[in-house]
Amino acid sequence: MIVGGCDIGSATGKAVVMKNGTIVSYAIVPSTTRPETTARMAMDEAIKKAGLSSLQGLDCIIGTGYGRLKVPFAHQNVSEITCHARGAHWLCPTVRTVVDIGGQDCKVMSVSDKGKVLEFVMNDKCAAGTGRFFEAMARVLNCGLEGLSSLSLQGMKPATISSQCSVFAESEVITMINEGVELADIAAGLHHSVASRLNSMVGKVGLVEDVALTGGCAKNQGLVKALENRLRVTVVSLPVDPQIVGAVGAALIAKEKLSGGT
Amino acid sequence: MDKRDTSEMVQKGLVRYRQERDWFNFLNGLLAQDPSEESQLSKSITEITVDRYDQIIRCAEEGKPFIAGYFCAAPEIYAAMDLPWYMIMQTPFLAASAPYLLEDIDACERMGLGTDWCTACRLSLYYIEAGLSPPPTAVIGLLHPCDAATVLHQAVVRNKLWRDIPMFCTDPPYFEDERGIGYFANELRRMAAFLEEHTGHKLDIDRLREVCQESNKQYELWIEYSQLRRAVPCPHGWGIGGGQCFAITQVFETGNPRGTQWLRELVANAEKRVREKRGSIPKERIRYFWFDLLPFGWVFEFLPWLETEWGAVMVMEMFGYTPYSPIDTRNEDTMFKGLAKRNLYESPMVRQARGIADYFATDIARVVKDYKIDCVIWPGHMGHKDGAASIGIMKEVCQQLKVPYIHIGLDLFDKRYTTPDECKDKVSKFFSTMGLG
Amino acid sequence: MVTEIGSGILRKFTEATETLVNTELRDWRAQGGKVVGCYCSYVPEEVITAAGFVPFRMRGTGSTGTDLADTCMGSINCSFARHSLDMGLSGRYGFLDGVVWTTSCDHVRRIYDHWRRKIDTPYLRLLSLPKKTTEPQVEWYREEIAMFKETLEKHFGVEITDERLWKAIRLHNEIRGLQRQLYELRRGKSPPITGAETLAVMVAGTAMPREYYGQLLRELLQELSLSDGHPDYRARLMLVGGILDDPAYIGVIEEQGGLVVTDSLCFGSRLMWTDVDEGVSDPVMALARYYIADRPHCPRMFGEQQRRSAFVRNMIREFQVDGVIAERLVFCDYWTGEQFMLGEDLKEEGIPYLKLDREYVQSGVGQLRTRVQAFLETMGR
Repeated sequence: MIVGGCDIGSATGKAVVMKNGTIVSYAIVPSTTRPETTARMAMDEAIKKAGLSSLQGLDCIIGTGYGRLKVPFAHQNVSEITCHARGAHWLCPTVRTVVDIGGQDCKVMSVSDKGKVLEFVMNDKCAAGTGRFFEAMARVLNCGLEGLSSLSLQGMKPATISSQCSVFAESEVITMINEGVELADIAAGLHHSVASRLNSMVGKVGLVEDVALTGGCAKNQGLVKALENRLRVTVVSLPVDPQIVGAVGAALIAKEKLSGGT
Repeated sequence: MDKRDTSEMVQKGLVRYRQERDWFNFLNGLLAQDPSEESQLSKSITEITVDRYDQIIRCAEEGKPFIAGYFCAAPEIYAAMDLPWYMIMQTPFLAASAPYLLEDIDACERMGLGTDWCTACRLSLYYIEAGLSPPPTAVIGLLHPCDAATVLHQAVVRNKLWRDIPMFCTDPPYFEDERGIGYFANELRRMAAFLEEHTGHKLDIDRLREVCQESNKQYELWIEYSQLRRAVPCPHGWGIGGGQCFAITQVFETGNPRGTQWLRELVANAEKRVREKRGSIPKERIRYFWFDLLPFGWVFEFLPWLETEWGAVMVMEMFGYTPYSPIDTRNEDTMFKGLAKRNLYESPMVRQARGIADYFATDIARVVKDYKIDCVIWPGHMGHKDGAASIGIMKEVCQQLKVPYIHIGLDLFDKRYTTPDECKDKVSKFFSTMGLG
Repeated sequence: MVTEIGSGILRKFTEATETLVNTELRDWRAQGGKVVGCYCSYVPEEVITAAGFVPFRMRGTGSTGTDLADTCMGSINCSFARHSLDMGLSGRYGFLDGVVWTTSCDHVRRIYDHWRRKIDTPYLRLLSLPKKTTEPQVEWYREEIAMFKETLEKHFGVEITDERLWKAIRLHNEIRGLQRQLYELRRGKSPPITGAETLAVMVAGTAMPREYYGQLLRELLQELSLSDGHPDYRARLMLVGGILDDPAYIGVIEEQGGLVVTDSLCFGSRLMWTDVDEGVSDPVMALARYYIADRPHCPRMFGEQQRRSAFVRNMIREFQVDGVIAERLVFCDYWTGEQFMLGEDLKEEGIPYLKLDREYVQSGVGQLRTRVQAFLETMGR
């Protein structure tokens, strides 16, 4: 049984191919202006890597993400909330809280021992705590995303970023740079502020270990450390690129659909 | 609930309370070191505050009756009934700049209590939900002036820890008229009956008369004091003024000669300063009307700066300005009507937020004229939804009075909402543009 | 926009929600009929009907912005209040002969203050609505209603006799009865009408001459009784909230496959679940008691949270509801509290629950879809 999961986000499109319950390939492509195009690009790449000649080789495909309604070859679409939770739990069955930090939104899910979502909280109204926020700040500090992350790990005295809005936070950061605050401290402060935001969201669903981070920003070691500090737990390491967890979840659901499970 | 559970509940409920008491003790110590009259005046307040906190702590630990109440739900009656009381909203207000304030605000959010309603109200709810408020014998709740007050008290009634504590709320009529006064007077009578039933303390009319008469004296002194603030330069700034008078007359020393004495000393000090033409700061350049409560959560980071940077003096604020008509103590009916009028129409913040916009509009006009105000600052606390909905009217009133007006938009308790730096920036631009200072 | 569903009759109801002034109301006015706007469901509409006028529940339908209102109100004010005030300032409520408020909430009560100063409507009235529901408050509101009636009589030169008032009460009760019948049809496994359509019917009932509406409703009930109904849905949902007058919002929710089978809404069941008691002698007292003591309450009323919660839980049982969705306009304090308290109550009973924030004019449809879809998925449906 070969299935596919396709997660179309605002910043990137992800596709995963699973064969008999094992991940055989995946792809991450930058999003284009048309979700259909992004979906095709991601899926084509994943199929090629899986050694398949075409989409026909897949028995079932589930679409997810903000562009899920526009995945032309998907048999069904499922919310990214359900998919991220399922994916993270499958990859690490002790996971009970999932924090997804995406390009344009972030969400927290509490998960049952069977990988079902119990409760969820989303922030998709503003950039606070998302990839956009880090991109904007990396621009201001002129250091690139990787640079921002490593700087944050060096900050000895994290600056206090009071503004909860990323637009205002930018002004604060610029003021700090002009006042000569250490860039590392600013970077640390930014990560600290995002971690605070996420901590609030985690509190709303209730923190239960183990905690997993998914989404592109989960690759940011600075954020991982800041969040671990705030939550006072060690985050579990997932065996795959955290950015594809949503697509993994979608593929799993495709598999379940075929085998008649729920 | 068994004795040990109750005792644990009480101790937990007193954690924040004790922290505040200690904070005031600490302030007390600081003020004791400054011999100036003004500091001694403030020290008296902190002493009184510590005493009242200790009283509540004692009552809680000894299982004696005490209640949660409000300054605008006839503290005269609590005083006459000899009932120690505290406000469940006390912590957000008096824990000014305490380090745990921001942590508590965040904990509040994590609890799912919502974030776009008044921080003071949601903090108060959080303290109760988290068991950090000492459970009283009975609660007098508040349903006005704003929506948030009603939300808070409905949630308190429902809360597991306080579910068995009886609550009574007075219902507020909207307009200022005889009918409303009569109705509210009856609500106060019902409140008194409720308190008698649940605390075992009785309301004696003669004792109430004594309290009201003493209270009248206090308000007379307050009115005198307020008039002295009209002087140029203003004898006191933000550090002494309406807030303390309010604390004395409506919170800690209602109808108590100790409070009256303090007010006499306050008036004496103000008189002296006016005679000597001594302003609160060496050079008073801007006289502003701060039309809200003080930004308790970060007051030290903003108000002193206004004085040092701009010579701006808070000549009047929301606490300081209300008429305070004396209560006619002839008989039970005149007293209850007088109490109704005072508590409904003349309590700070309640007065400005309740009812139709005309009420606060006339206040602004009076204050601007009487106090020679150079500009009106409407801080715009995020909890004052009715206030936000009134900015058009405030602007017009100020335009007619030809006085500059600025609306900031901030959170009196959470400095992260609009940071002190942002406020300073806004206000500086405003002062410069308006050619003030 | 709600797509045209079902027969022409449903179309008539949806038309009333898509525009401010529907055809019937326009005709009424053309014949010299008067219309009085009501902010808040606690305004005793029966008094207006008894005066021979049409009570019109205020909506901001068709508002395209809040530029004018933003000079009067701040950014932390409810979008309904801002949109409605904006329409008032733009002259879009020129068809009203009068407007009546209650002191409902901090946002809407200030519309009265701005209106008085800036908009030229000849009759304005603000009722002091209590915040408790015990006897003294019933008496207080009886006086308020009596005074309201007098000012209406005086201003418009009409006489509102007890007989006319009883006639109006009977008419409104009749309509409530018909609306309850409509909801009854949704109890079964295949409700013949969706939640979006139901809201359209309910909203229409606040916007047109009531006799005509009653006739229309009877026709609709006839037709629906012959319908097969919708058997295909993922879950039976209950919607709880305040001022929701846009069927399209429910439409987006139902697009995800859930069917809204009942509600506790300000334009929904709370308006008609009980009747005014016709068996007492004083009609004004009957109205006061109905609005203050009897009718299912809105979160503004102190001391009623348990009853409101019980009302919801009762609905869940009677309509076999699988999950509850609570919506709130951003910055509404009352619904913040209610969403929290109801949530705690439903959690105790293990009932699936979703909280949503919204703006009065719909935006972020994608975000709404995601949340509702995820909610249905968590219910395992």
